[in-house]
Amino acid sequence: MRIGLARPDYAADEALIDSPTQWAWVGLLFAALAAFPFVANEYWLYLACLVGIHVVSATGLNILTGYTGLVSLGQAAFMGMGAYTVAVLQARWGTPPLLNLVAAGVVAMTGGLVVGIPSLRVKGLYLAIATIAASFIAHFVFANWNAVTGGTAGLTVAPASFLGVTLDTSFRIYWLIVPLTVAMVVGAANLFRTRIGRAFIAIRDRDISAEVLGIPLLRYKLLSFAVSSFYAGVAGGLWAYFFRVVTPESFPLILSIFYLAAIIVGGMGTILGAILGAAFMAMVPELLKLVVDWLPLGANATLVLSPVRTIVFGALIVGFLIFEPNGLAEIWRRIRRFFHLYPFRT
Amino acid sequence: MSVSKTRRSAVTAIAAATGLALAPKAALAQSSGEEIVIGGSIPMTGVFAFAGIGIHAGIQDCVKIVNDSGGVAGRKLRFVPEDTGYKVDASVAAFKKITSQEKVNFYYGDSTAFSKTINPELERMGSILMAGASFATEINDPKKYPLQFLVGPDYTEMFGILLRYIAQQKPGAKVAFVYSDTEFGRDPIDESRETAKKLGLAVSAEIMTPPGSVDVSAEVIKLRRAAPDYTIFHGYVLAPIPEFIGQARQMGMKSHFMGTFWTMDHSMVMKMGEAAEGFMGVMPFRYYYDTEGNAPMLEKIRQLRPEYQSTAYLQGFLTTMLFAEAARRTIEAGKPMTGENLKAALNSIRDFDTGGIVGVPISITGNSIPVGRIYRADVKQQKMLPASDWIVLD
Amino acid sequence: MNFDWLFLFEISLAGLGTGALYALTGLAFVTIYKATRVVNLAIGEMLMIGAYVFFAFAAGLALPVWLSIVAAIVAGGVLGALVERTMIRPMLGESPISVFMVTVGLGSILVGLVELIWTADPRRLPEFLPNDPIFLGEAYVSPKVFYGFCVAALLIAAMLLVFRFWRGGVALRATASDQAAAYSMGIDVPRVFSLSWIVAGMIAAIAGIVVGAIGGISSTMGIFGLTVLVVVIFGGLDSIAGALVGGLFIGLVEAWAGAYLGGEYKVLAVFVLLVLILMVRPYGLFGTHEIERL
Repeated sequence: MRIGLARPDYAADEALIDSPTQWAWVGLLFAALAAFPFVANEYWLYLACLVGIHVVSATGLNILTGYTGLVSLGQAAFMGMGAYTVAVLQARWGTPPLLNLVAAGVVAMTGGLVVGIPSLRVKGLYLAIATIAASFIAHFVFANWNAVTGGTAGLTVAPASFLGVTLDTSFRIYWLIVPLTVAMVVGAANLFRTRIGRAFIAIRDRDISAEVLGIPLLRYKLLSFAVSSFYAGVAGGLWAYFFRVVTPESFPLILSIFYLAAIIVGGMGTILGAILGAAFMAMVPELLKLVVDWLPLGANATLVLSPVRTIVFGALIVGFLIFEPNGLAEIWRRIRRFFHLYPFRT
Repeated sequence: MSVSKTRRSAVTAIAAATGLALAPKAALAQSSGEEIVIGGSIPMTGVFAFAGIGIHAGIQDCVKIVNDSGGVAGRKLRFVPEDTGYKVDASVAAFKKITSQEKVNFYYGDSTAFSKTINPELERMGSILMAGASFATEINDPKKYPLQFLVGPDYTEMFGILLRYIAQQKPGAKVAFVYSDTEFGRDPIDESRETAKKLGLAVSAEIMTPPGSVDVSAEVIKLRRAAPDYTIFHGYVLAPIPEFIGQARQMGMKSHFMGTFWTMDHSMVMKMGEAAEGFMGVMPFRYYYDTEGNAPMLEKIRQLRPEYQSTAYLQGFLTTMLFAEAARRTIEAGKPMTGENLKAALNSIRDFDTGGIVGVPISITGNSIPVGRIYRADVKQQKMLPASDWIVLD
Repeated sequence: MNFDWLFLFEISLAGLGTGALYALTGLAFVTIYKATRVVNLAIGEMLMIGAYVFFAFAAGLALPVWLSIVAAIVAGGVLGALVERTMIRPMLGESPISVFMVTVGLGSILVGLVELIWTADPRRLPEFLPNDPIFLGEAYVSPKVFYGFCVAALLIAAMLLVFRFWRGGVALRATASDQAAAYSMGIDVPRVFSLSWIVAGMIAAIAGIVVGAIGGISSTMGIFGLTVLVVVIFGGLDSIAGALVGGLFIGLVEAWAGAYLGGEYKVLAVFVLLVLILMVRPYGLFGTHEIERL
């Protein structure tokens, strides 16, 4: 049972990992992540890479929506910008993948800044609707700017080549995706130890009060959009390298809704929430498949699977919002608290 | 335009397979316990479900028929499907799952997007020959898609068949293209414009409808201005074709209406109600109930399944026949079953008798089977009747 | 160049027809927003349920058309009441974003239910509108669009009267402007909430039947709701007149964009319009300006 932690200075108070046991757990996690590709088969590796991409994008959305309170339904559009950037750079100039990913982030960031400009005029739901508009306008550009984006047929991406190794299997691209994911998540966690992060939280809680306190609203809101879309752009770039095909249909509005659902289910406003939410929402279809296979429904099982998946998706969103608004992260915290306080209850 | 018909019945083909299946049991010292696995990402739910269910049944039935006759060179076929709801990520996940659990030789993909996405992986693995529900022009490129093929003409070839028919019926006619704003819809339009010009036809309108649009009155008004003799619809399953036709007829338009493969299923056309009268389109296969001509395989299907089977069923069935044929040729040549060898075996198919599913013997020189016939809907008889001979594009 | 006025006129008529449907759906949306301050993104899906229930009764059970319409309207009302009780009531007091996301989840659930019961195949409704072509002078109007316009116009007029004169309508307006005052005047506010959702559900069902009659029904019909979102932002989230004007205007713009620029520009034109209105008049043409107080 943990009674308390003595923190001798501000640095310790701000630290992300605050006890030797936590360090041990984190070390174990990293060891597991490193060992995973050697024991998992192709299918699980594929899922792991997909979850990694989702985590990066969900973390970005969490910065914007969970921490700054600006609801955005345009995350998929920014991912699309990043993905197309990577595809075009790879096809035309064959630049190294890390550079492409950074470029993808930067291009998406510019998009984010443009979309963020209305955020001073409009707030809340109106902003969300403006991001829906941005999503459709981006889709139009992807589908019709044939010279650059290849129109509705899209672009194919040659596999990334890193230090002479072509990343064309899930096993290989795992080593690009997962370290990058970890780096970006840690980056996001650190963001909220800084002044900028605290400013975001202040804007979420009461933006007029924040302005009164001296936080320039437009600058910080735009910064939030920029950071969030940078994450989306990198996630989109990874998507391009992973799936190796980029079409306008790859980034529909429903994907943005998926990410919003992921951070709601995971827990808005916490780093862990984005990770748990993204992993959970990505795994739900596979879990459902297992459950439906196991039930004695016979041949009808497969016919039922797709609509049930849609219903479960909606039900998860509604259920978590009504019953557990702080999401999976809160459930996780409750479990941790239980173990910390044992044998006491509260 | 007629093509000479060689006389080889499908019974002979199956008998040949059976004979060859029995013979190598002695000749080849291999274990015939090895199976030939056909994996499938099948859209059994979702917007394409009517096709997915048909395809699933078609593949299953053909596998059954082949296995009952002794399999392919002594090996049994096995079909391992997964439902995808016509979503690309579900398709890819299904592919990864099935290929990680089985040693897959053939694969059926559910969409153009999936075929394009999985192509690099297919090439890397090199062990699978793939076909699917897509008839996309882009996939009809043996250099870019060496391990894939289309079971029928690609969309541009379908348009080509329709345009040739139009040019025959009415030289110099005015044609309108009405298509959906999706990759499916846009696929053949550019090339078909050129084909129309070459055939001396005038394309008087190209109308693109956004997906999910409710009211097409504005588009029909545009179409009336263009006054085409023939209007070709592409990129739709059902809506908004009946609305178009209904309103066009009310406005007094005299155009004939035509469609491509996925709009030509009997049940879909008949759902149009009155508007279906005279609706034409290109079909690479016969319909389930076609009794015209010599079609022993269709007889067999009718015995196996007394109720109507869709065009998707026939497509799945034919795909499996071709898979089995490619496998048979590869095994008989003593070659290992790699994707490349299977494709080469497929490309060696000349004048293959499909038992009447396709009205003429087919040859697969590239990635598609550019054969088709025009059918016309007869609402009184509730049937799709042939309106032309079998046209083979070169 | 000889400008084809007849063409413009015909296109505009078609646009007005679609616009009337947008206005009708916008009306349902505004009813909910006015009373409960909820942005209901699932309005398109509620429309879809109305159309499918009509289909189930008219085609599945082969009931007479008028009975099926009544059944569909009742079903729409019941759906509205159910949704309000189970999903919106518990979210009372939460941030509007959360409620917005609940409606997004609701939309998903409705789509899944429709796919489960009726599969995702697109279908056509049995014909029940008269089918003779309508000619205004030389200009052609599709009969379905014309009758849809009439139905929408009648319904909107009826709703305007109801809100003005019926006790329930007045109660709705009272709750919309000041909940606390409404409570103290003896208005049963929770009942008003239910009422607004029931009415909206019924209007959505009617709109769904008309939309389904024109373009067929499918599980992706809900996408209609996104354009309606633009309509209500344009007109003002809590203004019925705004829904009317906005619906007709957006319908016209869409038709003109489709006719003169090309089908792919329809969606673009509508959403560019949305961005413009958000920049210039974020609260819409007739919406009430929300003043935020600390």
